[in-house]
Amino acid sequence: MDPSEVEFLAEKETVKIIPNFSLDKIYLIGGDLGPFNPGLPVDVPVWLALNLKQRQKCRIVPPAWMDVEKLEEMRELERKENAFTPAPSPYYMELTKLLLNYASDNIPKADEIRTLVKDLWDTRIAKLRLSADKFISQLEAHAKLDNLTLMEINTIRAFLLDSLNCMYKLRSNLLPGSSKGQFTDY
Amino acid sequence: MDTQSYLPVQPGVGMQENFLSLDDILLSHERLPIRTECAFPRLGYLEKATDAQDIPQGTKMELPLWLSKGLYERKRRVLSVELPKVYREGWRTVFNADPNVVDLHKMGPYYYGLGSQMLHFDSPENPEIAQTLLQTFIGRFRRNMDSSQNAYNEDTSALASCQ
Repeated sequence: MDPSEVEFLAEKETVKIIPNFSLDKIYLIGGDLGPFNPGLPVDVPVWLALNLKQRQKCRIVPPAWMDVEKLEEMRELERKENAFTPAPSPYYMELTKLLLNYASDNIPKADEIRTLVKDLWDTRIAKLRLSADKFISQLEAHAKLDNLTLMEINTIRAFLLDSLNCMYKLRSNLLPGSSKGQFTDY
Repeated sequence: MDTQSYLPVQPGVGMQENFLSLDDILLSHERLPIRTECAFPRLGYLEKATDAQDIPQGTKMELPLWLSKGLYERKRRVLSVELPKVYREGWRTVFNADPNVVDLHKMGPYYYGLGSQMLHFDSPENPEIAQTLLQTFIGRFRRNMDSSQNAYNEDTSALASCQ
């Protein structure tokens, strides 16, 4: 899976905006988008919010978790725990990048938020690598990790699966019944 | 979203080689030290060291893997294969001690593949060779993962250990 694919999936998440135009309810295949009245907040998907923002037709309200104190708490909690704590949002990395790129004027303390989210990401990825290393070095057959987001899984998926394939090949050497000269079917 | 028009055939599993895999074909070009158990009349040109017309019994020479595998028979009437240096006792101890310090590419680019193929030749050390291959891979896993996923050339486990 490409990171751009994950970002595409992240754009389905809803975010609150305050439009400066008015429009009746629109009926799309994916769902209805409620009537737009200037000055009244409405929930829309991120892809629409970014589009409207670029055309200067709305103001984006940062999500509840995108707040300096909350993110600092989460960062400290993540550092204390050995397991993964629940992430601020299942797409926190992508939403941070998108919203801070296109709507940083609507989000207070944007730079601090960027740093905090990056710290959170680094800690979680380091934990993921530690966990993968333990999994491989102890030759476990089964592992369970809670509270991972799709972007994190995506970073490790290709490498871990290829390594497990290589290990399977090397482990099959140890079996006493390993075959010599069997033909594979194509 | 892997829509490729060319799907390469992967190398074989364990002691098998995939006939159509390019990696396995290149692997089988590696030369192995062997000792002939019978004479090879009129094949002197295979051995570049001497100009004799025949190869007498008991000559030590080098043949590529594909030829050695084809000529090898359990009753050992044709040739016997010696393990290359990297798979012998001395290097195995190095790998068991610390797999990370060894330059595996210099040892021959197909360390794991060739090691798996050497198990065909019924050496008494086969279980140890197979075990060392697996342990080397596991030992190097952490460094490979770190190097492939970020640009730092250092150990990043400190990030997860701050309590």
